[in-house]
Amino acid sequence: MTHPEMNELYELYVLNVLEPEQAREIDEHLRDGCAYCNEHLAQAMSVAAALSGLAEEHEAPAHLRRRVLAAVKPEIRGRQWTLAIAALSAACAALLLIVLWTGVSLRSSRARVAALETERRQLTETVEILSRSDTRAVEFGKAEEPHGRVFVNRNHGVVFVGSSLPQIASDRTFQLWLIPAQGAPESAGVFRPNAAGEFVQVRTEPVDLTRIHAVAVSVEPPGGSPAPTTKPVLIVPLG
Amino acid sequence: MPRKQTPDSEIVEKLRARDPEGIAAAYDRYGRIAYSIFLRITHDNAAAEDLVQELFLRVWNRARDFDASKGSLSVWILSIARNIGIDYARSAQSRFQNRLRPLDQTDPLAFSYQSKEPELFENAKSIREALSELTANQRQVLELAYFEGFSQSEIARKLQQPLGTVKSWMRSALGRLRAAMKTGVTE
Repeated sequence: MTHPEMNELYELYVLNVLEPEQAREIDEHLRDGCAYCNEHLAQAMSVAAALSGLAEEHEAPAHLRRRVLAAVKPEIRGRQWTLAIAALSAACAALLLIVLWTGVSLRSSRARVAALETERRQLTETVEILSRSDTRAVEFGKAEEPHGRVFVNRNHGVVFVGSSLPQIASDRTFQLWLIPAQGAPESAGVFRPNAAGEFVQVRTEPVDLTRIHAVAVSVEPPGGSPAPTTKPVLIVPLG
Repeated sequence: MPRKQTPDSEIVEKLRARDPEGIAAAYDRYGRIAYSIFLRITHDNAAAEDLVQELFLRVWNRARDFDASKGSLSVWILSIARNIGIDYARSAQSRFQNRLRPLDQTDPLAFSYQSKEPELFENAKSIREALSELTANQRQVLELAYFEGFSQSEIARKLQQPLGTVKSWMRSALGRLRAAMKTGVTE
């Protein structure tokens, strides 16, 4: 196909409605860095956007503006979370000192100290992710369905928080996965919601956001699986 | 009373600074057209509202990916809106499952284009005129492609018309629109 023949196809390509064999030809040009195709695609993007004018105009309901604005303030809520978790973290540290001070048996103290230390470390890491300005927050779901937020920081990890996941058998657990565009999902740990159905799962390793496009949750045997063994009950795109 | 429209450059600046006023301004400028697109695709007020929210969440979360040197904010936002709408239209699953969009969906930023286009709405009048002058057939094929995501061969089957006829309607319709946008540029 020559460039003049392609001239009438760029808009259809942009709209993703071109016949596959024609789309493949344009794909090849773009892969080769074809300047002509890039320039015409830019124009086609504008023409395609102008097709939005085909829609009959409707006034959006007044409450929708408030709803949208409320939905995009995770950072503010994140700061509230940060304060709450920081307070909790401080309480854990205080408890740690109390445990040491009261001089209960050395063995049980050590076990409790270790557990508290683990919890404190996780809370600290959570605070780190939630408080950073370059953390991306993605909201998912809605009331009465699995809903919550994913906080992702490319250098510090992922905090996955929410509620209303489906009930699972007592011998099963939820497992969080990071889903790359290509390749196998990566485990981000197992978790079980609390009695109220709420859950928090933290993974404190850097996340390559150029590669990871979504997080997902599947139901797995206790301890988790090396790869998902069931269809995900939830997928949250990060884009 | 209509809210004051903030220039796109200022909206982008605020979005990048994670200033909620940026998303408020983006909504004031593009919320109505986005809602109209989603209502046309879904024919469902509640679904259209959900999709508007999803659109502006995506704009908020991806504002730092937007590069003004590569195209206008209007084209960027409307491209994302159309992708979200088509995902919805193509899904036969429930509304919740529809949120689980395919991971390989077309990204409007996937092209490294260098746009010299003016703001889309600067030539809105020419565009509106061109769209209003389309024949019923031209309009129908454009609507099926834009709002339903149908290819030309799918449109031909749906309308029970020869593929060549559908291609001809599509070609002439897009040609009119291209010409109108060029006219708008020179005005």
